[in-house]
Amino acid sequence: MSGVNLEGIVKAYGALQVVHGIDLTVAEKEFVVLVGPSGCGKSTTLRMIAGLEEITAGDLTIDGRRMNRIAPKDRDVAMVFQNYALYPHLNVADNMAFGLRIRRMPKAEIKTTIDDVAEILGLTPYLDRRPADLSGGQRQRVAMGRAIVRHPKVFLFDEPLSNLDAKLRTQMRAEIKRLHNRLGVTSVYVTHDQVEAMTLADRIVVMNDGRIEQIGTPMELFNDPANTFVAGFLGSPPMNQMKGTLTASGAKIGDAEIKIDGRVGDHAGRDVIVGIRPEHVTLSAEGPSSALPISLDLVEPLGSEALLHATHGDDSLVFKAATNGDIDHLSGVDAVHVPSHLVKLFDAETGHALNFGV
Amino acid sequence: MVDENTNTAGQPPEKAAIAVHEAARHHIDDGRLIRLFDHFKREWQIYVMLLPTIIWFLVFLYKPMYGLQIAFKDYSIFRGVANSPWVGIEHFHTLFANDQFIRAVKNTVTISFYNLLFGFPAPIILALMFNEILHATYKRTAQTIVYLPHFISSVIIAGIVITAFSPTAGIINTFIGWLGFEPVYFLTQPQWFRPIFVGTGIWQEAGFGSIVFLAAIAGVNPSLYESAVVDGANRWQMMWKITIPSILPTILIMLIIRIGNVMEVSFELVILLYQPATYETADVVNTWIYRQGLQSGQYDLAAAAGLFNAVVAFVLVMTANTLSRRFSRTSLW
Ligand SMILES: Nc1ncnc2c1ncn2[C@@H]1O[C@H](COP(=O)(O)OP(=O)(O)OP(=O)(O)O)[C@@H](O)[C@H]1O
Ligand SMILES: [Mg+2]
Repeated sequence: MSGVNLEGIVKAYGALQVVHGIDLTVAEKEFVVLVGPSGCGKSTTLRMIAGLEEITAGDLTIDGRRMNRIAPKDRDVAMVFQNYALYPHLNVADNMAFGLRIRRMPKAEIKTTIDDVAEILGLTPYLDRRPADLSGGQRQRVAMGRAIVRHPKVFLFDEPLSNLDAKLRTQMRAEIKRLHNRLGVTSVYVTHDQVEAMTLADRIVVMNDGRIEQIGTPMELFNDPANTFVAGFLGSPPMNQMKGTLTASGAKIGDAEIKIDGRVGDHAGRDVIVGIRPEHVTLSAEGPSSALPISLDLVEPLGSEALLHATHGDDSLVFKAATNGDIDHLSGVDAVHVPSHLVKLFDAETGHALNFGV
Repeated sequence: MVDENTNTAGQPPEKAAIAVHEAARHHIDDGRLIRLFDHFKREWQIYVMLLPTIIWFLVFLYKPMYGLQIAFKDYSIFRGVANSPWVGIEHFHTLFANDQFIRAVKNTVTISFYNLLFGFPAPIILALMFNEILHATYKRTAQTIVYLPHFISSVIIAGIVITAFSPTAGIINTFIGWLGFEPVYFLTQPQWFRPIFVGTGIWQEAGFGSIVFLAAIAGVNPSLYESAVVDGANRWQMMWKITIPSILPTILIMLIIRIGNVMEVSFELVILLYQPATYETADVVNTWIYRQGLQSGQYDLAAAAGLFNAVVAFVLVMTANTLSRRFSRTSLW
């Protein structure tokens, strides 16, 4: 079983601790994405798995074997770097062969391996080119190829797509997903792009400030964020968060009151943060819902949908509405309807999700 | 933290801003001259900084070129450069009929060859070795020690060498004495001049020369090494497969410069270390020019020899540069 297991992993640079005890199990063939804001310790965690950073405390096991003191080359992992780390003086074929030559694989075998992988990645016409003569997407593919030819137990990716433009990024993202489905190698993927995380991951690990905020499938995280951080991180635009106070059947937000399903009445008077996903509101009442008055200040058309930038009291909010081919009818919007079963509640102090049952 | 979500790809904002600015600027241009003027107006500080170098070149390198014509004239200081009569290439005939000059050319080439063979790799090897030292304090100390001789004047360097090799009190001969051999008169024997001269040059300049290569090594993308570590390369393999290929362009550039200087054997050091007894191996073109020109007053002949030197150097640089550009895409210009 070539899973990766992290138990209480800590990283400190001298007195400065940057990763504060991470517990994570990546199952065999699973694609796990570490996501979080810049500086939260994603790369550090990944590099500890690769063996490029020493593990200060905790246990790392790959395939059931403790790896803390094992040299990177003996961990049987392959890493794809953000800047690709291609050897500029070697052509594509030699770049891919680098790791194999170091491992003294027979020449003929190297050749067949590289030809196979080049075929998969569509690199066959470029085998003789140097990295400098390739496009960004092609370089990215070579970096992947270099990892794939090694047939490692685990793939590690550190923001492999962040140097590509938006279009190419979408394309390569799909390609990575296809590759993973085809090769089925356990993968840990670091990104700060939540769209990448949502689309690629079997499970997402949301990190913040050296800690794990939540682990779950993309839809689990999207539907049931464990706290305001996760709620504000996933989704584009992310969940709207407003201060409010619970009442007998809902919550009072400023001078408005919205209905919320569940036994909120038991906690009436409690200060909470009310979370509403931009795409959950409707412009006219549909089913059990309540109107939230807003003052609209900007409509951003995206095509089939438009983003409504608005305020309610001191809160700036963003909502999504269908355009039906025209945005003029959106300019007069003065309230949105919030379905009572889709409202999320978080503790005002800790930010943890509250669940009062339905 | 929310702005992480809205991170879109494409150009970083500052680049985009510069591009827009440039586009706007070029739009209003209607000629090269205006563009040039515009450029000067914007970047004049840079040109002011360049000025001292340009003046130095004009005064010390371009103005003296006027005097070069005496290589083709029967020059006399009383008639002056302009009024001396032309004699064509007579001085060059004289030069190549002169055994001493031919010997000097041969010596120059030989010494340069050894300098290139031993002196050129020395700083590269030093830089690679420094790069492998992990202990920071130890590394800094070692570097300082090897940089030091560069900052000592050649006169003192020569003094140290002469003292060290002295047959009576020199440390080398003392050592030889301990081993039970007769003292060797190193600096009076022609066969010893080249090793001592080349060795001194390495001692003096290898450390300082390594800075260029250390800088080149520092510029190598660290993730190349990390990637190699994950691939299983050891330090030796990383040196051969990453460091050396990565600094190869720098090595080639330095080699081209070095080849251009082949005829410029360190004149001061030769003057300081040689003596009539070792002219046979030690007399190089520049010392010969010095003796002919300044000591015997044959300025025109010396100018011809100097011109010959310069032409050879020019041809060498051009050749080296062309070859390098053809075979490695690296060139000085
Ligand atoms: N060598 C180091 N010494 C001290 N602190 C370090 C060192 N390397 C990283 N850090 C710190 O560790 C923290 C985590 O860094 P890390 O590179 O893992 O962030 P990240 O989540 O990958 O961010 P990004 O998305 O910007 O790549 C940062 O606060 C960083 O400043
Ligand atoms: Mg990072």
